[in-house]
Amino acid sequence: MSAALSMTTAPATPGLATAADPILSVRGLSVEYEASRPGFWSKPTRVQALRDISFDIRPGETLGLVGESGSGKTTIGRAVLRRIDTSDGRILFKGQDITNVRGEALRKLRRHMQLVFQDPYASLNPRMRVLDIVAEPLIVHGIVRSAEEARDQIGELLRLTGLPRDAHDRFPHAFSGGQRQRIGIARALALKPEFIVADEPVSALDVSVRAQVVNLLQDLQKELGLAYLFIAHDLSVVRHISHRVAILHSGRLVEIADRDTLYENPLHPYTEALLSAVPVPHPRTQRARKRLIYKGDIPDVAHWPTGCHFHARCPHATERCSLQVPPLVRKAPDHQVACWHR
Amino acid sequence: MDAISEMPLLEVERLQVEFDTRAGIVHGLRGVDLSIRRGETLALVGESGSGKSVTAQAVMGLIDVPGRIAGGDIRWKGQSLLKGDGPRRAKDIRGKEVALIFQDPMTSLNPLITIGAQIGEVLQRHLGMTKAQARIRVLELLEAVGIPAPPRRAAQYPHELSGGMRQRVMIAMAIACEPQLLIADEPTTALDVTIQAQVLELIAGLQETLKLSVILITHDLGVVAGLCQRVAVMYAGRIVETGLADDLFERPSHPYTQGLIRSTPRLDDRLERLVSIEGAPPSLLAPPRGCAFEPRCPIAEARCGTEPPLAIVHAGASAACWKPSQPAWRDVPASAEPAPVS
Repeated sequence: MSAALSMTTAPATPGLATAADPILSVRGLSVEYEASRPGFWSKPTRVQALRDISFDIRPGETLGLVGESGSGKTTIGRAVLRRIDTSDGRILFKGQDITNVRGEALRKLRRHMQLVFQDPYASLNPRMRVLDIVAEPLIVHGIVRSAEEARDQIGELLRLTGLPRDAHDRFPHAFSGGQRQRIGIARALALKPEFIVADEPVSALDVSVRAQVVNLLQDLQKELGLAYLFIAHDLSVVRHISHRVAILHSGRLVEIADRDTLYENPLHPYTEALLSAVPVPHPRTQRARKRLIYKGDIPDVAHWPTGCHFHARCPHATERCSLQVPPLVRKAPDHQVACWHR
Repeated sequence: MDAISEMPLLEVERLQVEFDTRAGIVHGLRGVDLSIRRGETLALVGESGSGKSVTAQAVMGLIDVPGRIAGGDIRWKGQSLLKGDGPRRAKDIRGKEVALIFQDPMTSLNPLITIGAQIGEVLQRHLGMTKAQARIRVLELLEAVGIPAPPRRAAQYPHELSGGMRQRVMIAMAIACEPQLLIADEPTTALDVTIQAQVLELIAGLQETLKLSVILITHDLGVVAGLCQRVAVMYAGRIVETGLADDLFERPSHPYTQGLIRSTPRLDDRLERLVSIEGAPPSLLAPPRGCAFEPRCPIAEARCGTEPPLAIVHAGASAACWKPSQPAWRDVPASAEPAPVS
């Protein structure tokens, strides 16, 4: 275990001297939740949602974070934004340790990192005008005193996110799902953050509208130099938008690599299974692909197996896999994998 | 092939469904034509609100107040289910010869009754089996849908099963009466991708062994490509294009289909930018007089103000467009060299 720790806590990009310093570094992050009590008098059980997560995000880069439901994707997003407490590990934002930042310092920090939500219907207050919604972060952070004062600034944000000029004084119900997501993005951009966590930002949108929002996120990144942590379960969208991709399985990172390496030369058996399960929307191509369909279910967060969490479904699993956790090991300058057999 | 098997199993003709709402009448279906033959797999593709699910509900007789069938006909093996003594006959057909599985297996299963009892109820009610006969058949059905340890599972409640297992139970229930047509309404949308692959493989396997006809309702073009022979694309309550899957993906005729295919990121794509269909589908409170896609269509012209009929474009393919098969999204290359995927 100590060997595993030392390997994963090493800087994630020692080979790349040219790479800019990461905007966000996560080292050995673990998160525990208190779960239900088995009986009234007994102590609550603790559920380990994330274990020993380490990754970097460089300025202007998109890291795609992929995992199935219950794998802990959203928990990572919430932890790096300091919305939940960590039980172990460190989070560094622009070199500063923010793991235990609290109070006023945390509030200041939040100007630099923002969140875009999944559901554009639930994340906008239906009783607020668009102007008030987008101005709220500016008011909270004391940059302006009223929404009216920020009207011009918000007009610019609405233009940037492709909303109609007269959107200011309308209410969210007047907008379609795609436009609502643009409002959510405009709100996230109001404080001019450098880093945005986008948690499944396009999953609730229809296909034709999804492309609009994906294109917008890419345009904004080019224009404003934003770094994204793009959380998604859709591997096709992730390939399209990400520079690097991390695969999360049951609370552990199993593979991180630059995008093309991960998609064209995956090493972890789980990544292989995941990729082969995604249908390609082209019948001839799809028929020609080899499919790996592994039996069994995703392990439940409250009853994680010992050893590698994937060993019950893995065709390569040996006894070692069911006993020891494989550490995340660097196989190439930008390719890390956690598997005993690769 | 004899005449009987040549005849379509299900025919939907000029079907119109309306819903009374406080805002006025919503024209959910505006004349849908559809037919499916024995053993065929048809995909009904569209975005939310396009009328895919309403079509399935109409076939299953599930349109209830405030909705109503306002026109058209549904025929099962040549006989109307809406006219004459059709509604009475339909009661025996629906649930027995035609079965439906829903998107969300948790809300379609009774949480207070064991899996075995729920499937058994279908057998006792529709096939007049005794409790003991049903119990044996339930175990066979659970086995057939790939649920391990059937006797143990039959005694469990829905909450004890994972999402994929629940969907398998729904499928077991649907095939309990050996239907000829299975309508699957977004059967895998709520599932993770590796579980989705398992369920799709199960449906394909059952289709083969039971000689089922399948109507698969989905918004996911990837799912279509893996499973279906024929595709019907819906937009704003109408079918805008239908054709053989291979052909339709290779050379889509309708601008909407073209846009849909190219706005969907592919696992193997290297496109820098997705096609983005600007705007949103029209409100069905006041559906447009002409082509419903006209406001979003890049090649629309004056005559698109009149409704184009669903007409044959080339052998086996029809489209409702005045300018079918013309490239609508010129600025983006039609097909970049696909990137390899594992």
